Amino acid sequence: MKKLIMISLVSIWTNIVFAADTQYDMRVDGLACPFCAYGIEKKFTKTEGVKSVDIDLKNGLVIVKTEDGKTFSEEKLKEIINDAGFTMISMTEKSL
Amino acid sequence: MKRSHLVGLTVSLLLATSSQSILAHDPVFGIGPHVLFKGGTEVALEIHLEKAGEEKESEVGLELVYGITGDWAAGVELPYAYKKEGSESSNGLADIQLFTKYRFWRQDSLGLQESAAVMFAVNLNNGDEKAEPKLGNGANDFITGLTYGYESLKWYRWASVRYRLNGENDVGFHAGNKTLVDFVAGWRPTLPEYIKPDTVWLLELNTAISEKSELNGNQLSNSGGIESFLSPGIFWTMRNFAIKAGIQIPIYSDLKGSQEKSDYRAKTSFEWHL
Repeated sequence: MKKLIMISLVSIWTNIVFAADTQYDMRVDGLACPFCAYGIEKKFTKTEGVKSVDIDLKNGLVIVKTEDGKTFSEEKLKEIINDAGFTMISMTEKSL
Repeated sequence: MKRSHLVGLTVSLLLATSSQSILAHDPVFGIGPHVLFKGGTEVALEIHLEKAGEEKESEVGLELVYGITGDWAAGVELPYAYKKEGSESSNGLADIQLFTKYRFWRQDSLGLQESAAVMFAVNLNNGDEKAEPKLGNGANDFITGLTYGYESLKWYRWASVRYRLNGENDVGFHAGNKTLVDFVAGWRPTLPEYIKPDTVWLLELNTAISEKSELNGNQLSNSGGIESFLSPGIFWTMRNFAIKAGIQIPIYSDLKGSQEKSDYRAKTSFEWHL
């Protein structure tokens, strides 16, 4: 019985941890016009698991929220930003 | 070949050179280093009007561009022209243009992008050269260019040079090759916010230097020369939709022999990034 409870708890914990929403705050250079920044939104929103994309031109910030446990590596984020025509300087990742 | 036909051909070439690849946040009449995001598609509709003496031209062009990488784009422009010269008029598909642009240098910093690109285009010879006025010059023409751009949240500036190498058609006419030099400044009165409407005001200085045209190897006296234009314009965008408009006002003209001077040229484009 104890074993069953333990397995259930671990399963619940795993689901919470691994299916959590994640937020990526990226410092992006080269953002000088909103029309050009659309490429960033387009690249992320066609990726499965991305819930929202916000862009702050004045501060050079791109904020991406994911769901269903979707995660990105730093290299992948750099690649997406570069394919959109910009340069990612740094990023922070946090679970929501 | 009649003199009026040669003049018509020259005007057609002027129009074809000036109505090339729209591409995002570039100037209205000059070119800039902008490309398109990887996998992105641009659809644009462009309207071009031009008057030089008794010659009037209107052209509607559909442009399709694809982003091969984040720094390399290629596309096609399908122009439909309506031309009027005195009492004669013609309309139909004009010369199709295939073009590509590669951004070989990019320097990004906070709210600022500096970049440089090379472009290459070919104007096909599909336009009806038997129509009067002619819808094409009957030869394949090649255009190459180099451009630099500085784009910040507040100020813009571009510089570019293009060279057009014209082909020779079936009757031995070779329109003079052309060099185009453009300097452009842009100003955004209000700092931009993503998804909100954004306006940039532009002022361009466009110069076209034409070499003499030739017919069967003989230079034509009524050809070649220099024209410069001052061109105010606007670039208005909202998210993935843009409107660009501008008018070229002649400020200097040194056309050789007897040639119609430009009265004005105007261009408007509607552009979507998909």
